[in-house]
Amino acid sequence: MMQLTRRKLFAGAAAVTASTAFMPLMGRSALASAPAAGKQAAAFYRYKVGSYECTSINDGAVSFPMPDTFVKNIPKDQALAAAEAAYMPKGKVTVPFNPQIINTGSKLVLIDTGYGPGIAPSVGLLPAGMAAAGIDPKAIDVVVRSHLHPDHINGLKTADGKVAFPNAEIMAPSQDWAFWMSDENMAKAQDNVMMKNYFANTRKILSDVAGKMTKYDWGKEVAPGITALATPGHTPGHTSFAVASGSSKILIQSDVTNIPEFFLRNPDWHVAYDIDPVKAAETRHKFYDMAAAEKAMVVGFHFQFPSIGYVEKAGTGYRLIPVAWNPTI
Amino acid sequence: MIKFTRRNLFSAAAGAAATAALPFDHSVRAATPAAGKQAAGWYRYKIGTIEVTVATDGVARFKMAEDHVINIKKDVVNAALAEVFMEKDMMTTPYNPICINTGSKLAVVDTGTGEANYEKSNGVGGQFITNLVASGIDRAAVDTVIISHYHGDHINGLLMADNSLTYPNAEILVPTPEHKYWMDDGEMGRAEKGRIEGNFKNVRRVFNAEVLKRVKTYEWGKEVIPGVTAQGTPGHTPGHTSYVIASGSDTVYVQSDVTHVPFLFVRHPDWHAFYDQDADMAEVTRRKVYDMLVADKMRVQGFHYPFPSLAHVEKYGTGYRELPVVWNPTI
Repeated sequence: MMQLTRRKLFAGAAAVTASTAFMPLMGRSALASAPAAGKQAAAFYRYKVGSYECTSINDGAVSFPMPDTFVKNIPKDQALAAAEAAYMPKGKVTVPFNPQIINTGSKLVLIDTGYGPGIAPSVGLLPAGMAAAGIDPKAIDVVVRSHLHPDHINGLKTADGKVAFPNAEIMAPSQDWAFWMSDENMAKAQDNVMMKNYFANTRKILSDVAGKMTKYDWGKEVAPGITALATPGHTPGHTSFAVASGSSKILIQSDVTNIPEFFLRNPDWHVAYDIDPVKAAETRHKFYDMAAAEKAMVVGFHFQFPSIGYVEKAGTGYRLIPVAWNPTI
Repeated sequence: MIKFTRRNLFSAAAGAAATAALPFDHSVRAATPAAGKQAAGWYRYKIGTIEVTVATDGVARFKMAEDHVINIKKDVVNAALAEVFMEKDMMTTPYNPICINTGSKLAVVDTGTGEANYEKSNGVGGQFITNLVASGIDRAAVDTVIISHYHGDHINGLLMADNSLTYPNAEILVPTPEHKYWMDDGEMGRAEKGRIEGNFKNVRRVFNAEVLKRVKTYEWGKEVIPGVTAQGTPGHTPGHTSYVIASGSDTVYVQSDVTHVPFLFVRHPDWHAFYDQDADMAEVTRRKVYDMLVADKMRVQGFHYPFPSLAHVEKYGTGYRELPVVWNPTI
């Protein structure tokens, strides 16, 4: 057999391209060449938790040049090396976004809404994913936000500023609501561009629905079988969810980590978006120690689609074992 | 903050379920019925100007035989399954053919288990054509079928359930040594009873007169269609073939069955799946291919990797590990 080296491989290919004599089969077909499809599949994936039917929908992903302080407490070189080890585009970091829809049988619940329209062509794809999955936005009974960052709330609104889920009760964690809606907190954040923008965005998206917003508390159900878990640090009211039906259960972590290639592997790394990074790291350790001990299935908003996996301890951190795509449900 | 223990977690859930005081049941709309249906399994990516569509054929699930890995005890194999949170004693094998549009050719590489298997498996397998259609590709538009080797999960999809041609307008390109071996009556006569003999019979069934009329053989080390070069990777079968797809500065290695499922045989290249006809040769091939993939940081498209079955690989322990590519929402 030939040696498998890149050089030989491509030398071989070049030689063949240069000779035109060997293939007698090119001229026969009268078919016109098929045009490239140029279109990606709408990304949704279904799985069951007991009798609940869950749909993971990819709102998209962005690859952006890694900011100098993307990971605040390590040198940028080290973060770039982690990105390279994960085969991200050179100098960039790739972050996916995955809202979840849960049909409990009595309620159709959307957890987090993605970026909404107008950010970039590669995000705001929740409506397309829902359409492909056959889920009517009007049928959503409850929209639950894990926290009030733009990638989790902006999809509440359509391009013309209407509520995208007109029949849904809209829920937000009490503590995040209190934090982001405080004028005093907003005033203190004016010298931090990121925080200033987040405060402004929260008001832009949520002001007109503030009156009908239901605030929920940790340790209680937000919908049947879906319990809010306190996982603060990323934001003051950041919330994860336990979904339980029959003898099955999963954890929807929300942003306990941003991308797992960085922050699950290195739980003590502080992503720029964590408001209280020390508490966020403490939450991460507790959450994943529990998930690993329980062998719990974990759904991560920033995991790669379909964003479902198991967590194992690995070195000083953890590693995600993605579930294999199930072609039926 | 609440403590994360199983008891707290689920007692909290149970406690909340017991109280009926939640204020959100103001809706009088009917509950939405469950959809009960998985997404069509297809995924598209580019290699330079070449467009690749992965369309899954589904999976097979079966009770693992004692000698599924012939040189490793079953409890060790079970431990490897546990590491990836898979069920003990059960094998789940995905099948993922691809379709390549080079601009001049629309080529299917391997055909899956075939339409007949869709009913037989209750829809768990035999999905390739359905998913290809969902991706917008008509089987009648396929002008080339490229076969990597002659196992049923790669060739049975040449025929529809009624034995008509799945790709009526396609040439069927097959590796010369593979074709020679399986079509040789002497080899068939000498074949081991059981699986190998059964495979000879299946090959003769699938390669009927209509299929044979369209068959052309290709050689290792040469381009099969523009941009797709065949590489001999024998062991799994005598003529087992992989491909390098190259366009511009981009390449992907279509490994076919250099490994069977990655969670066993990429992690442990020295494990011999009972499917490998010459297990020692298959292991040598595996190590060469994977050392090259690691050194060149080349993406691999693996027929038996979980959908969409495109990954990078890295060294891990005494073997390798796959890093699935992040789903790209655009192409």
